[in-house]
Amino acid sequence: MLLLQLILNGLQVGAIYALTAAGFSLIFGSTKIFHFAHGATFTIAAYLFHYALTNLGLHWTLGVAMAAGGAVLFGILLDRFMYAPIQRHEGSFFTVFVASFGIGIVVENVIGMVFGRSFISVSTSLSRSVELLPDLYVSPLVGLAVLTSLVCFVAVHMFLMHTHAGMALRALSENTELVKTFGLSPRRLSAYAFALGSVLVVPAAIFTASSSGLNPAVGHHVMLISLAATIVGGIGSIRGAAFAGLLIGMVENVALWQVGTQWSEALTFAVLFFFIIFRPSGFFGRAAVS
Amino acid sequence: MIRKRLPALTLAATLFSSSVALADDVSIGAVFPLSGPNASYGDVFMSGANLAAKHANEDHMLSGDLNVLYEDSQALPQHGVIAMNKLVNVEEVPYVLSAFTGVSKAISTLAQRSETVAVNGGGVGPDLAALGEYFWNVIPLANNEVGAASKYLVEELGLKRVTLIYVDDPLGAGILNELEKTLEPLGGELVEAHSITPSAQQFSGVAARVRSSNPDAVYIASYGAQQLQIVKQLRDNGVDQQIISYSAFSLPSLQALPEAKGALYTTQSIDWDSTDPVTKRFVDDYRAANGKTPTSYVANYYNAVRVFALLAKELEAQGKDVTGENLLAQRKATDKFELVGGSVSFQDNGTLLAPIQVLEVTGGAGEIKKVYAED
Repeated sequence: MLLLQLILNGLQVGAIYALTAAGFSLIFGSTKIFHFAHGATFTIAAYLFHYALTNLGLHWTLGVAMAAGGAVLFGILLDRFMYAPIQRHEGSFFTVFVASFGIGIVVENVIGMVFGRSFISVSTSLSRSVELLPDLYVSPLVGLAVLTSLVCFVAVHMFLMHTHAGMALRALSENTELVKTFGLSPRRLSAYAFALGSVLVVPAAIFTASSSGLNPAVGHHVMLISLAATIVGGIGSIRGAAFAGLLIGMVENVALWQVGTQWSEALTFAVLFFFIIFRPSGFFGRAAVS
Repeated sequence: MIRKRLPALTLAATLFSSSVALADDVSIGAVFPLSGPNASYGDVFMSGANLAAKHANEDHMLSGDLNVLYEDSQALPQHGVIAMNKLVNVEEVPYVLSAFTGVSKAISTLAQRSETVAVNGGGVGPDLAALGEYFWNVIPLANNEVGAASKYLVEELGLKRVTLIYVDDPLGAGILNELEKTLEPLGGELVEAHSITPSAQQFSGVAARVRSSNPDAVYIASYGAQQLQIVKQLRDNGVDQQIISYSAFSLPSLQALPEAKGALYTTQSIDWDSTDPVTKRFVDDYRAANGKTPTSYVANYYNAVRVFALLAKELEAQGKDVTGENLLAQRKATDKFELVGGSVSFQDNGTLLAPIQVLEVTGGAGEIKKVYAED
């Protein structure tokens, strides 16, 4: 029963990781921008949701809208006013990374100043587990997290495969010059990528706020997992990042069946090293020759 | 001519007057977590230290104003060492407040080498009592707290099988060691010990492991945001057993967490209604400024600064410099200190002894369940 319990826990955690990793992978794959501040987007969305529900007393749907609005706005503004000028001046990959890393730290401190630096969580009965079978506890959030992830991935897939904007985004990841030749604006497409990638972290942020709680530094862990999942899944592959996020969540939890709790995080990175050594292109990535 | 030289004269006068003012001021340092997941502790610690400095200045205990220079450790040893280096080598303070077991251990060698007194009021790792004569503790250490917790669980509640969830650092290792030592003689048993990394945030898997071992009580040895996440996730994932911890649970955010209601924790025992003048003034002024009763952490850092003020006052009266070496000698020469909580004395190893109380989280200030005399 312990194994089944750990698998169910892994599903919930994995669904959350999958959403955050897919958002990061979408942005990185399309724009080639190492958006380290993706963790900050997660933190902003989670705190706005908490603020809307707890401080403003709004209905949860308005809380979701506020979190999504804040995340999208942050992503687009960052792209427009920080990444675009750096790219215009032909800043290196490292310059973009350092700038994004700095923004992550600024956001962490601003959130600490505005919302306080202690632990907060959204109180909901949905996070409270019920005993389904003897010694098997499941909270409604598990089902919600998995269902929401599936809906989000189907929606993103439909968008990328069946809309002009989605096709243009895929084209942007392949060949920026060709996109310009067709009269499309890479800058505008980049904004689409940031909007979509940022909105994908919103459900994950909301589930985290409700299940494990928040502190201003919560984005670091999110970013670490997103990065690992992007490499394991194959750089640029949203489907790969989603599978990898799920895999990491499962490994983190199922590992506890046999090994001590202190090893669970280390095993995440053991998976990462395994892929780097034996399958550097990841789950669904394509091998490249430079 | 005078008009031409006026700006230069003004500048010289300003520089001279400011240097005179600085020379009169007395500065001590503090290495606290001011950012990161444990920053809320820094706020609590600062409130105690600032209040003590304010009282010392109101009473004109020293020849100049007493200032506390704060540096951020993020509760991480490497940041703590950088902060301590700045305070010792740049600011040249004789006395530094420290917090967190890992940080305190990291800065203790520099304190010893530079003959700077470091005073801990927050870390409770048992080995903090053996970091050299320049390292003092104004807080009872985990060996006192864990002993009282084990006694209460086994003797008062009959809860003998205990599972420990501990953060993998010197504090966690110290508490594991103390639980192993104290439970067995009382007829209790440490069923399982789950080590977690300081950065871990997901504990649903740990909760499943705890449930499967079916203990009578769960001891949590963590701190900051992480300990709240552990409590919430244990309760959310069906762990209904008695939760117990150490003084880190006195954090206001934990006291307000609905899932923590009914949890037990230990702290040093301080009677907030005491009529002794030091305690009364501290409690009254803290309540007036913050609208709530202080916690033991606030009192500890108040006491840490007050110890400095008392020692420095005595040194100034004797015409001696306020240096780490002289502060140490003066502390050894002083039998009793009038601090918040009453009249206390330091042990030879530089650690204060105090009675320990077991409290229950009730949503407001904790409810005292039992007080154990210091041993």
